[in-house]
Amino acid sequence: MEEQKTLFVDYSKCIGCETCEAVCRFLYDTPRIAMSRTIDGEIVPLYCQHCEKAACQKVCKRGAISRDGDGAVLHNAMKCRGCETKDCLIACPYAAFFATCKGVAVAKCDLCKKRRAEGMQPACVEMCPCDAIKYVDRNSVERLKTEASEEAFKRVMAHIRPKKFVD
Amino acid sequence: MVSLSVHSGVMNFGFLQTDSAPAIERSVGIIGAGPSGLAAAGLLASQGYEVHVYDKLPKPGGLMVFGIPSHRIPVDRINRGVRDLERRLGVTFRTNTKICCSAPMHEEEGDHFAADILSLSDLTDNHDAVVVCSGSWKSRRLTIEGSSLDGVYSSLQFLFPIRAIKYAHSNVSMPDVSGKKVVVIGAGHSAVDVVDSARTLGAESISLVYRRTAAEAPCGKFEIDRIQEMGVSWLEKRSPEVIQGVNRVEKLIVRNSLTDELEEMEADVVVSAIGEIPTPPFQKELGLENVRKGDVRWLNMTAMDNVFVAGDVLTGPSKIGKAVYSGLRAVRSLTNWLDLKAQSRENEYNFEADKISR
Ligand SMILES: Cc1cc2nc3c(=O)[nH]c(=O)nc-3n(C[C@H](O)[C@H](O)[C@H](O)COP(=O)(O)OP(=O)(O)OC[C@H]3O[C@@H](n4cnc5c(N)ncnc54)[C@H](O)[C@@H]3O)c2cc1C
Ligand code: SF4
Ligand code: SF4
Repeated sequence: MEEQKTLFVDYSKCIGCETCEAVCRFLYDTPRIAMSRTIDGEIVPLYCQHCEKAACQKVCKRGAISRDGDGAVLHNAMKCRGCETKDCLIACPYAAFFATCKGVAVAKCDLCKKRRAEGMQPACVEMCPCDAIKYVDRNSVERLKTEASEEAFKRVMAHIRPKKFVD
Repeated sequence: MVSLSVHSGVMNFGFLQTDSAPAIERSVGIIGAGPSGLAAAGLLASQGYEVHVYDKLPKPGGLMVFGIPSHRIPVDRINRGVRDLERRLGVTFRTNTKICCSAPMHEEEGDHFAADILSLSDLTDNHDAVVVCSGSWKSRRLTIEGSSLDGVYSSLQFLFPIRAIKYAHSNVSMPDVSGKKVVVIGAGHSAVDVVDSARTLGAESISLVYRRTAAEAPCGKFEIDRIQEMGVSWLEKRSPEVIQGVNRVEKLIVRNSLTDELEEMEADVVVSAIGEIPTPPFQKELGLENVRKGDVRWLNMTAMDNVFVAGDVLTGPSKIGKAVYSGLRAVRSLTNWLDLKAQSRENEYNFEADKISR
């Protein structure tokens, strides 16, 4: 199996500066990595983890969500019907599917598909001032985790999945 | 195949292009090397523009290097990003160079580093366009009685020397807090940065005074909890009334808004972290009020035709991401303008479209 790429945000290094969201917005209008403020006032980016078993892909009845050679989970606007139920958006455990006002009304991270084709990394990875976002093979994510990053990640999950996530 | 290691450890301001684009015969001057100026420089240079960045400080990076404490931002990553702009994209940096403004010198933190002074017209004469990215450096001062006593600082007065001392300038001296009682006023991120720095510098005790509650603190409750765990006293619902002392600060009197009683706090150092205000060179000439209101013909263009503006100088204190975005947008607007102007088609510019795509 080829390498399966994904993003990893180390929330313990992140200072909530919004640069990742800003460069994403500059490139794509609707940012696919988006800032959220937790109840405790931590400001963090929510992002797509290009899950091995992608819930969004499973629930889409139109087959509009697929995986490319690098492992990126892609949303195909040509196949998407923009269903009212927005199953993909609801299914995603990381709140990484975004509603837009344009076109098919959903958008998600494609790991900067066009940039990858030109040998560049995703823009958020390049511009994060704190080196908090890594573009890596999914297998190496485990190695990037630290005690601090796990703790910070748990706080973020408690924010986006207040009921489901008990640990 | 994407190579992983190329840019690890570099804040890649030229992130839109791997190689430098073929040079075009256009030159842009950028005033200020903070995140907005550096992002603007990266975008212009990767489109083949000749770019000169002027900064009054000895090192590019703006508040990322001279304001935000180094435990939160890895300065090497910024430095490598700047070097990459120089080497890969051919950007020229002129540090220790202040672009002259109507205000007298030594007004804002860091002015005394400027060895060279140029005027805005020097820049407009030498470049096809100029982008003002000079940030928001003048600290809002306390106005209560005793605010001018020794030992009373604004957040930037306190934080700037800690970062700038490396550049060994005789006018920079570290705030002396070792073994002292430090009171910080405010609850934004810079207040927290002052608290962390005071702790690192060995303060005996640190108190944070805020007029509202922890739930309303701009830095968030998580941060308040964290610094309380470090042993900082958190005093909410208290507003500063008077600073007392002979020559130096000795006491801060605060009003507790729950009891409406005055409380006395012993203090050797008082730092007010209550925000910064923008300090644009040529505030009036550039008509920045109108740009802020969006009352312009061209996105991010000032009252002077070929002078654009971006970042905190326009918006007031914000965030790195907002400054970066503003810099990128100003450049998009600037390059559109130069393109259309070259063909005398300025009136075809679609301001509404540019404004809407945010
Ligand atoms: C203590 C503190 C903590 C902060 N923490 C965070 C944080 O955690 N996350 C976050 O996102 N943001 C934070 N910020 C805000 C962030 O740093 C700013 O929003 C951002 O740096 C603004 O970028 P800028 O490019 O507009 O201006 P700046 O970074 O201020 O850069 C402006 C540059 O212009 C130069 N300059 C000014 N006038 C002249 C002149 N006349 N001639 C030549 N050069 C000139 C200055 O020397 C400076 O280098 C913090 C700010 C402070 C003060
Ligand atoms: S959108 Fe959500 S469910 Fe789909 S791959 Fe990304 S993180 Fe997983
Ligand atoms: S750019 Fe980096 S530090 Fe800033 S919010 Fe995004 S992940 Fe966090």
